[in-house]
Amino acid sequence: MRISRQKVMQLLIYVLLIAGIAVVVLPMIYMISTSLKPNGALYEYPPRFFPKLKEITGENYRYILSQKKFIGNFVNSLLVSTITVFASAIVSSALAFCIARFRFPGRNFLFVFIILTMIIPGTTMIVPQYELAVKLHTINSIWGLIPFYVAWVIPYSTFMIKGFVENVPRELDEATYMDGGNVFTVYFHVALPLIQPGIASVSIFNFLTAWEEFPWANTVINDDLKRTLPIAISGFFGQHQFTQWGYVFALSVLSLIPILVVFISCQRFFIQGLTAGSVKG
Amino acid sequence: MKERKKILAILLTTVTCVAAMCGCGKSPVNSASDSESQETATVTDSEEPAEEVTINFWHHYSAQSPENATLTEVLIPKFEEENPGITVNAVSHEWADLHDKLLISAESDTLPDVARLDSAWVPEFQKMGILVPLNKEMSDFGEVSDSLLESAMTTAEIGGDQYGLALNTNTKILYYNVEMFEEAELSVPETMDEFAEACRILSGTKENGQQVWGYDEPALSGWNLCPFIWSMGGAITNEEQTQASGYLNSPQTVAAIQMFADLYKEGAITGWNSGDIPMTDGFGTGRYAMLLEGPWKVSEMAGAYPDFDYATAPVPAGEGGSLSVLGGEDISMFQSAHKDAAWKFMKFMTSAFAQEEMAKCGQIPCNKEALESDTVKEADFAPYIEQLDHAKSRPTVASWSEIDSELSVAATAVVNGEKTAQEAMDELAAKVDALLAE
Amino acid sequence: MKLNRESKIQIGVLLLPGLLVFGIFTFYPIVRLFWMSFFKWDFGSFLNQDFIGLENYRTVLSDRNFMTAFANTLVYTIITVPAQMILGLLVAILVNAVSRFKIGFRVAYYLPVITSWVIASLIFRYVFNTEGLLNYFLTNVIHVTSQNIHWLDSRWGGMAVAMLLGIWKGIGWNMVVFLAALQTVPLELYESASLDGAGGWQKFVHVTLPGIKGTVLFALVMLTIGGFNVYTSTKLITDGKPGHDTEVVLTWMYYKAFSNGKFGYSAALSFIIAFVLAILAVVQFKLMQNKE
Repeated sequence: MRISRQKVMQLLIYVLLIAGIAVVVLPMIYMISTSLKPNGALYEYPPRFFPKLKEITGENYRYILSQKKFIGNFVNSLLVSTITVFASAIVSSALAFCIARFRFPGRNFLFVFIILTMIIPGTTMIVPQYELAVKLHTINSIWGLIPFYVAWVIPYSTFMIKGFVENVPRELDEATYMDGGNVFTVYFHVALPLIQPGIASVSIFNFLTAWEEFPWANTVINDDLKRTLPIAISGFFGQHQFTQWGYVFALSVLSLIPILVVFISCQRFFIQGLTAGSVKG
Repeated sequence: MKERKKILAILLTTVTCVAAMCGCGKSPVNSASDSESQETATVTDSEEPAEEVTINFWHHYSAQSPENATLTEVLIPKFEEENPGITVNAVSHEWADLHDKLLISAESDTLPDVARLDSAWVPEFQKMGILVPLNKEMSDFGEVSDSLLESAMTTAEIGGDQYGLALNTNTKILYYNVEMFEEAELSVPETMDEFAEACRILSGTKENGQQVWGYDEPALSGWNLCPFIWSMGGAITNEEQTQASGYLNSPQTVAAIQMFADLYKEGAITGWNSGDIPMTDGFGTGRYAMLLEGPWKVSEMAGAYPDFDYATAPVPAGEGGSLSVLGGEDISMFQSAHKDAAWKFMKFMTSAFAQEEMAKCGQIPCNKEALESDTVKEADFAPYIEQLDHAKSRPTVASWSEIDSELSVAATAVVNGEKTAQEAMDELAAKVDALLAE
Repeated sequence: MKLNRESKIQIGVLLLPGLLVFGIFTFYPIVRLFWMSFFKWDFGSFLNQDFIGLENYRTVLSDRNFMTAFANTLVYTIITVPAQMILGLLVAILVNAVSRFKIGFRVAYYLPVITSWVIASLIFRYVFNTEGLLNYFLTNVIHVTSQNIHWLDSRWGGMAVAMLLGIWKGIGWNMVVFLAALQTVPLELYESASLDGAGGWQKFVHVTLPGIKGTVLFALVMLTIGGFNVYTSTKLITDGKPGHDTEVVLTWMYYKAFSNGKFGYSAALSFIIAFVLAILAVVQFKLMQNKE
């Protein structure tokens, strides 16, 4: 009697979870199905969740992939996100290592300031940052995006990685110093290898941040060919023009693929990273 | 050590994935490169003494429009071929974005060389001192100017100087769904009263339960409301453009806004809401019976709904007659431009050849020679050209953009029943008075 | 440990890139922003600004549109934060209780988080279109209403869609965070609670919740910041319409800065938001500590 009740409970939980997934994933399925419809069918009546079988077309994808500028946008997004990830990994891990391990003048101020900047929404700084980008002549260039993205993700990354550094036993440091090692040796040969799960987990987060960032890129980049994907996608909307939702969603589906690849291949680290952060937090 | 290897593997996988994405992303470029050939222009003969220049041209032809295709696939390649050493980098912005981007760029010294400007923006940019007075700086200005329509050229003239060349002109006329009018046994509305009546009769529900509206207006800004305000005898400002009180809140203007609010409340018109069907789709699928639109709609409809049966008529007349809003764009040069190359490009864009090509996508030329061409005659711009005689331009004041956005906020409040038309227009008139005084 | 000269130099070398990037691209802009907030700084006066003291702050606080935007942001935060946390926790508990497909569930629920804001906003806008799929479903399939609902056309309709999007997108993150926290609650506590005859709900209230308190606080603070960060969804779904009724603080700041050119105003607005967030964070920490 008891066992069967437990089984019923288990079954119920599965049903609930699957129902939840249906709701959560529904919009994405609709996006995919719309991207497979011919553009003319988008205001059809009655509206359909799935396209009719004979209606299914790869036309939207063919169009997107035949446009040089969208390919360019794709490459831009990849470049910007990848460089942001690597640059911020290097910079934040070094910062986190120093803050966690050494006392130096201004250390406390630096750490408090890093925490404070986590609170201020990045978009609020858009005006002075724009002015800065003008002074540095990086308007309308991916170099106008990368340093700013790196600066935006430093606080969160440093904060998270610091937690990982603190989990590295100090005895390992001491042993290395005894063997004649210096700060560099400890950082590169002791700390870095051990905090790599932390770096990997914040890197997924950083990749996503740079990949999907909208307001800043929309402000700084002008040329079609220099735009990143979010700007290209939102660029389908003209004020008096009809919107080709088929193209919009085909490009959207394509732009989700890299994120999915990165996420699924690294999701183990991602969970680990969040665990460390939430416990520390 | 083992852990480290694993991490390395993960990082390598990521890089490989990324590289693979780059790879598979890049492959179609080769196949697509025949359609566009930007590289060719940068590779010029070493013997050619001409200096290499890239000019940036910003415009608001929608990215997916036939106009944009003509620009990038026909006009620019032709221009670059004729002018070796000059590369044109054309950038498409959404209409409102273009205005904002130009303002920001002006502050940050990152303006393009040339831009296609809504003629309503010219006074604002002129006041900022960023536009080049062409008549003063270009020696052959007179020649070029003579080849273009005088009336259209006045849109870029401020204080006797000329801050742009007229690129295209247009105005809106009434488009209607022939089938719906026949079914309802209605004749095309000639007066504003008939128009309102037609909106009421044509709106309702189809057999399948879908709602249908008599008229669609995609926004509530000056471009949208002016034909109604003017035709019904109202005004935005006085003739001197110094005062709005007494004009923007006159009984006639208020009546025009009120008509919109009433028709909207009765479900007879719609279009400006975020959730509404876009204009072209709504018209092409029989959900909107009438529109006020410009000549570009013809090629748009031909592309998206080729079998759809519609016709056009003048703007319905009211107390003020049948008055439409004068549209049109100017092509202007900014102070920071590579002036020689920019001027060449502007001359090219207003040449008979370029204007005729653009006419094929529904842009009414300002070039007199192009206006006489067969393309234009076949395009049948006659109804628009007739309406152009009964079209007024929006106030040519530097603060127009701000007035325009205040107007649409006020009109939105009225149609949503938050304020009466009189209240909203009184408040607006006071605000606009202040803006005009600035 | 005494640091020798070499070590000091090496620490400096390690710190340098971070300090440079952070200093130039974050610290300097913040200082600059603070400075700007006291000047009349707009398109007309970009080179030559007048010091106007607190005037910008006064203008912001007496601006009706800012108040609307602020109220919208506050409502957005107050509704989406608890909703995400409760649903996320619920999913976490359910996923924790199943024996199979844990990873599959985790990935599926996480999908919305990795869908970019731009894409998610466009999907929602398309679904909630007055003529869209959802309205068709409501009126013609399950007949709960006879007329299409104008989701995107009113202040609270537009905000509701943005809020639904925020919740939809946030459940996955909360699930992962809480799933991690649930692993840290000692099993013995549940066992002893069972011995005391506690039911499922009592175990949840007396064992689970206290056990994951730190995580709840972490999520609360992060999500509140996230709530005030809302920009892309309202920008792309309603763009502030009708009127400026669906603006949130960041879209309004952006509008004032880049459409009206009121940079001083925007700077002051930014600081007001940062100030409010700092206070909220402190209050949240204090409240959680008091409950101890």
